[in-house]
Amino acid sequence: MNTYVLKTLWRHRTRTLLTVTGAAVAMFVFCFVGSVQEGLHRLTSGADADRSLIVFQENRFCPTSSRLPEDYARKIKEISGVRDVMPIQVWTNNCRASLDIVVFNGADPRQIQNSRPLKLVDGDWGQFSSQRDAAIVGRNVAQRRGLKTGDQFSIGDLSVKVAGIFESTVPSEENLIYTSLAFLQYTRGLDAAGLVTQHEVMLTDDADPDRVASEIDAALRAGSVATKTRRKGAFQASTLSDLVDLIGFAHWLGYACVGLVLSLVATTTVMSVQDRIKEYAVLQTIGVRPARTMRLVLAESTLLCLVGGVGGTLLALVLLGVGGFAIGAEGATIAFRPSFGLAISGTLVSVIVGIAAGLAPAVQAATVPIVNALRQA
Amino acid sequence: MALVELRGVSKSFRKGDETITPLDNVDLDIESGEFVSLMGPSGTGKSTLLNLVSGIDRVDAGSIVVAGTEVTKLSRSKLADWRAANLGYIFQTHNLIPVLTAYENVELPTLLLKLSSTQRRQRVELALEAVGLSDRADHYPRQLSGGQEQRVGIARAIVAHPKVVVADEPTGSLDTETSEQVQVLLQRLNKELDITLLMVTHDAEAAGIASRQLVLDRGRFLERDSHSGVSRKIQHAN
Repeated sequence: MNTYVLKTLWRHRTRTLLTVTGAAVAMFVFCFVGSVQEGLHRLTSGADADRSLIVFQENRFCPTSSRLPEDYARKIKEISGVRDVMPIQVWTNNCRASLDIVVFNGADPRQIQNSRPLKLVDGDWGQFSSQRDAAIVGRNVAQRRGLKTGDQFSIGDLSVKVAGIFESTVPSEENLIYTSLAFLQYTRGLDAAGLVTQHEVMLTDDADPDRVASEIDAALRAGSVATKTRRKGAFQASTLSDLVDLIGFAHWLGYACVGLVLSLVATTTVMSVQDRIKEYAVLQTIGVRPARTMRLVLAESTLLCLVGGVGGTLLALVLLGVGGFAIGAEGATIAFRPSFGLAISGTLVSVIVGIAAGLAPAVQAATVPIVNALRQA
Repeated sequence: MALVELRGVSKSFRKGDETITPLDNVDLDIESGEFVSLMGPSGTGKSTLLNLVSGIDRVDAGSIVVAGTEVTKLSRSKLADWRAANLGYIFQTHNLIPVLTAYENVELPTLLLKLSSTQRRQRVELALEAVGLSDRADHYPRQLSGGQEQRVGIARAIVAHPKVVVADEPTGSLDTETSEQVQVLLQRLNKELDITLLMVTHDAEAAGIASRQLVLDRGRFLERDSHSGVSRKIQHAN
């Protein structure tokens, strides 16, 4: 009976190919949208997002507009619950939402190595620590910009030598380029000697993040610049708020893709069953049970959907893997990465939609009055 | 007990505002091993009778017992199981599955039975051999002539070793020469394999090959003498 299903699909290969292609395109978009959603979710809800704080200049948004004294780090460290503070100078080529955002984070190389979940896949930490204009580049940026260790990379007034490429368990980190703090502070145009964009505060295990955040702002209120301290996740969500709304809306696009696959495969299956209603009557005359007739139709629709859906999902995962896509705004970025979850959800959605698309025609094939169907030309 | 027993079978159809009753309280017995042909004018219910015996249509009243099973009481699923094990159906228009080869078409009914792959292969090969199409096993229906298609249809009907085979005008769409070949084949299957056959036909010559010829006229069966062509009313024992 499997032969019957496969040969039927093969015999109508133009129709099969068109349906599979349609399902693949829709599931490709579904996975891409899913990847954006996952990226946003990781950015705002990971452990890192809850257990570290970002101290930013009050009422400032773009990194270039936040200018905090570097020595705030010393005062912040004195507050109970603070394990470490990392002053960071941020530079970005675009403060608006962009798909090709380049973000430099300048910080102490030793602190970067100790506090960030980074692993060099090429190059070495020694060169990065010792050479003033050395930079380590996130895998996504390297893929997108075609960078490799030893390259000289220039953007705007910045020019760095790539000392290594890193990967990270936090995908958004892979959209960053790290340099030493001093290098970025003294870059022409930034004029930020003794200043940083933000302080990243690492908390002790038992510290209450909101309490510490309030105490930091209170302690620095008497300083030259007022601050606004938030959990890292909340800070990033706030920074990307415009994008968050768009991404939230984009999930409807994902549902629309599922609906598209459903209607496409359902249309094909309905047409196929109507064309071959006499065949199903013949099969039942031979002794094929109605339930088995239903299964034949469901197998056909599920196979169409599964082949197209899995094809589209795999293509999306491969592209997400090699493309290094990201979207960002105001120095915060969302990485589009492939994931096991996306592969599973793409496959599951394909199977469920395939079954749903075949239900009505399957019932039609199984319940058709045999004698009437046999009389059809 | 007869292999096929029809008692008080009635069947009506609605055609617009009109109700047509081709079968009205009919009785019929067919013994095991018989080859029965059924003739009659168009619209007298010959094919309807065949469909009722096959369980692909439902009676309005009466009962049909085939090989000890009252098919009129079975559900649609049970009827399918029953047909798979007990009934072969030969269609007028062959109705082969176009995407399957001759071998695969004949194999279809055996897939519904509990057989090993070896048993299945043996049965299919025997059935194709019986209809003289072993050398056409890998051909698709579009690559076969009308007569060959019908012979594949016959092989498909007998491959599961059914207790009864029904044939709805099996020579109706064939030319004279091919029609004669199919008639000979049916006669041989009846005699050599002892298959019980119930055949509906318009063709008096085709009907003549049957061991018993019936004419359905105005809802009543008449026995037809193949030599004289005279029909007389059937006398039931009960």
